[in-house]
Order: sequence, then C-alpha cells, then structure tokens
Amino acid sequence: MTVPVDSVPAVDAAEPEAPAPPVAVAAPPGHRGRPLGTLGRIRGTLPLRWRLILGAVGMAGVIVLWIVAARATAGADTGVRVPTPAATWDALRELWSSGTLSADLAASGERMLYGYGISVLIGVVVGIAMGAFPAAEGTLEAPIGFLRYIPASALTPIMVLWLGVDEAPKITLIVVGTVFFNILMVADVARAVPRELIDAAATLGASRRRTVARVVIPHSLPGIVDVTRINLAAAWLMLVVAELLASDEGLAVRIVRSGRFLHFDTMFAVLVVFGVIGVVSDLALRGLRWLVAPWDR
Amino acid sequence: MGPVSTAAGPPKLIVSGLVKRFATKDGDTLALDGIDLEVAAGGFVSLVGTSGCGKSTLLNIVAGLDQPTAGTVTVDGDLVVGPGPDRGVVFQAYSLFPWRTVAENIAFGLECLKLRRAERNRRVAEMLSVVGLSEFAGRLPRELSGGMRQRVAIARALVGEPDVLLLDEPFGALDLQTRQSLHEFLRKVWLRTGATVLMVTHDVGEAVYLSERVVVLTRSPGTVSEIIDVPFGRTRGPAVRREQRFMAIEDEIDDLLRARRAS
Repeated sequence: MTVPVDSVPAVDAAEPEAPAPPVAVAAPPGHRGRPLGTLGRIRGTLPLRWRLILGAVGMAGVIVLWIVAARATAGADTGVRVPTPAATWDALRELWSSGTLSADLAASGERMLYGYGISVLIGVVVGIAMGAFPAAEGTLEAPIGFLRYIPASALTPIMVLWLGVDEAPKITLIVVGTVFFNILMVADVARAVPRELIDAAATLGASRRRTVARVVIPHSLPGIVDVTRINLAAAWLMLVVAELLASDEGLAVRIVRSGRFLHFDTMFAVLVVFGVIGVVSDLALRGLRWLVAPWDR
Repeated sequence: MGPVSTAAGPPKLIVSGLVKRFATKDGDTLALDGIDLEVAAGGFVSLVGTSGCGKSTLLNIVAGLDQPTAGTVTVDGDLVVGPGPDRGVVFQAYSLFPWRTVAENIAFGLECLKLRRAERNRRVAEMLSVVGLSEFAGRLPRELSGGMRQRVAIARALVGEPDVLLLDEPFGALDLQTRQSLHEFLRKVWLRTGATVLMVTHDVGEAVYLSERVVVLTRSPGTVSEIIDVPFGRTRGPAVRREQRFMAIEDEIDDLLRARRAS
C-alpha cells in the first residue's frame, strides 16, 4: 500500500494502472480514510430522531408478522390458531369492561408486591453484608451458590405440602425464585465500591457501621436499582409458575382458563398485558435510578 | 538512632524500624526494610523514590490502612494501630464521594466527629474560603476540574484539624499548570494551618519546592538512602525554582535515584 508522496491519490481503485498525469496539472482533492457514518458506526450514539424511527419500524415489524400469522391460520378449527390484532384488542376491551382484568391485575400485583418486595429486601440486606464483609461472604457464598442452582419451580410440590395452595406458597415461590440472584448481584454491586472511598472514610474517622451506611450503600444505590430491574423478569416467571398452582384470579390464571375454552384472543390479550406491564415497570425503575442517583446519570 | 529532627519543633511523627514483607507466589518480598523517619511539628517532609520502592506502602502504614511486619509509627508518642481522623489523608485521585456535593464531602469527617450541624456548617464554610471554593459548595465532584477536586480532597482532610496531613502523590494525575498552581495552594494552606505534612511523590522538583526535608528511598528492599535538608525558608516563592542551589539539589536527588536504579 505504499504510495509515492507526490503521486495523485487514486480516485477509483478499480481503474487498473491509471497513467500518471503530468506534474503541472492540478489534481482534484482525493479522500483519505473511511467515513464512520451515523447509523453504521460501531458503538456510535443514535440520534433521537433515528431512535424513534427505528423503534417504530421494529414494532411495526412485529405487528406485521402477527397479522401475517393471523391471516395464515384464519379458518383453522384446530392446531395453530393466531387471533388477529383486532380480535385481541376486542378481547382486551372485554376483559377490561367486565372488571376481570382489574381483578386479575390486583391479584397478581399483590403477589408480586409481597413476593418480590421481600426478595429485594433480603437481597439488599444480605447482598450488602456479603459485599462489605469478607466474613459474611465466606460464610454465605457456598450455601447460596448451592441453593441458587435448585430450580425454584421444582419446589412447587414441597411448597404446596408445607404451605397449602393459598397465597403463602405463591409468595414464597416468587421469593425463592429471585432472592438468590438478588443477593449475589447486590453483593457484586457492593464489592464494586472503590477501595479508595472506603479508605478515605476510615481516615476521616468513620466507624464500620457509618462506612456501610454512608459510603457502601449510597455508592451501591444505582446498582441496586439496576439489579431489581433485571431480576424483575425472573419474578414474573415465578408468578406464572405460582399461579398455575391454584387460583381464582390472576393474569396467568386467566390464560389457563381461556385456554380451556380455546379463547385464543383472550390469551393473546393477557400476553399483551404482560408485555405492557414489563415495559412500564422497566421504564419506572429506570426513572427511579435516575432520581436516586443524580451523580451517576 | 533516628535521624535528627529539624529546628521547627519536636518530632510529631516518628517512624521507627519499619519493616514490611509481602507474601507473593515467589516467596516473601521485602518492601520496606528498617525505615526510620521523623517529621517535626509543623514540618513538611517528602518521600521520593522510583515506582515500586514502597513509598506508598509506607504512607499507608502511617495512615493506619496497612499493618507493618515490624516496627512502629507514633504520633505525639501514641502508637498508630489503625486509621483515624488525627491523620488526614489525600489520595492520588478519585477519592471524593461522587454523590456528595463539595460542602458535603468536606463535612464528612465532621459528621464522624459528631459535631453539631451549626458548628459543622461554620467550619465547612471557613474551609471553603481557605481553599477558594465557596462558590462551588453545591457542586458535585464530577462538575469540577481535576485541580479543584484535589483542593476539595485537601480541604476534607484538613477540616477536622488533624495532627498530621498525609499526601499520597496528590498531584500525580494533574497537568503541569494545574500542579504548579496547587503547589502554591498547598504552601499557602500549610503555612496558614500550621499542619505537619508527610508527602509521597515521584516528582523531585515538587518535593524540593514544597518540603523542608526530602527523604530519598531506594527500592527492593525499600530503605532510606539519603535525607536532604532543603535550605530555602518557609516563605519561598516560585522564583526559587530557577536558583542554582535549587537545581543542584534536584540534580543530586536525580543522581541518587538513577544510581540506585542502575545498581
């Protein structure tokens, strides 16, 4: 690729052996380097306008696929049947106006609130302790490492035998299915507090307790919100497993019931509700992170 | 036994027979081998040495953040057994609490001392004016330049009126211009507060300009190779850097460091 300094930059690389132009003729300016571009730049930042446009394209793609699938399966009495978006929308409105949806949301929401709330609480307390104190880490790492590989859904029969089929086993399942991930991920967050900040606090006279309260926890706060956001998906998974036990109300219950009557439109409506709740809670927790950690935006 | 203290006052900080051994996979490494050192009350001593000579380890032991294998550190005759607010420390960089404003960072040590809010605010305000950052009291560290952050770190270390101020390469991460303006700043603060200072640096000019005495450390194992008294008064200004005597001292220390590295 060595090109003599005085030679004219190649305008067209495909042109074989372009004869050297006479020295006196001023050559047009060439180009050096490969433009990085906007949309194609690796790890580049997408302008807001493009972000919105591409987001709309992505969503439209999903809806188009859905419509195609609905068309293709229309008229079938058995096998794969996909309701049209319009039929799903109608089923959703029906669920809403009959009051079924709000009752299901309330029942599922309560289970999530208690189950995931307890899980986050335990996760933060134990996780901070493990991240801050090597003795706590040494004691708990092995048992938690063992327990977290037990699929929580496999505990369902034991939970039923111990706690019956009421709310207690459902809430417990959500806790058991998420708490170990919360603990270990919060511990990682707490371990990421820079050594220098801990040392600085110690040299300023902070006790151990104050160092945890005023340095480890404030520094970990945005990370803790991130952890709760990520593990929320696992909590929804456990909610569905738990509701399949036995319930009168709940989003997963609604899907099972509708399935018995082959109400595909209602089942799809509930799936849409799951997706919307997921997006909304994700955005809410992102907003919370932004609020609690102005220094780490 | 120990080195003679300067005329400035009785020794405030005494390091005696300090040994530090690290366990590594190739066996033990002797990082510090019998360090003796004194800093007079109100004095300014610098430790210079090539990287890996254990000078930061020595400072950490004085701060109480690291334990010596043998030997002692005393402040006013009291044995140092751990970190405490009597020895303020300024780290190289990034040691401000990023979620706390400038004023809240400076107040951290006062909160630990359980001072009342009114007293805390008064002392923070006073310290802010000493370091010239009053108008930045409400800013977060990330909104400040590197030089301003180190001024906050120095203010935070000094506001509790420690017996000793320990500086661990405090200006190493800054550009030359900022570093020089912080030299003037540190000299001003030192003279105004009467603090006893022990500073670690690899910048020989910085050590000679700021200190009353420079301790040259050699590496593997770290021992005191030479102690050089700087003959300029406490009220020296930047012009002294151009004096023949100043450059002669710099050259002397440079030669010591280079000779040790070659051997």
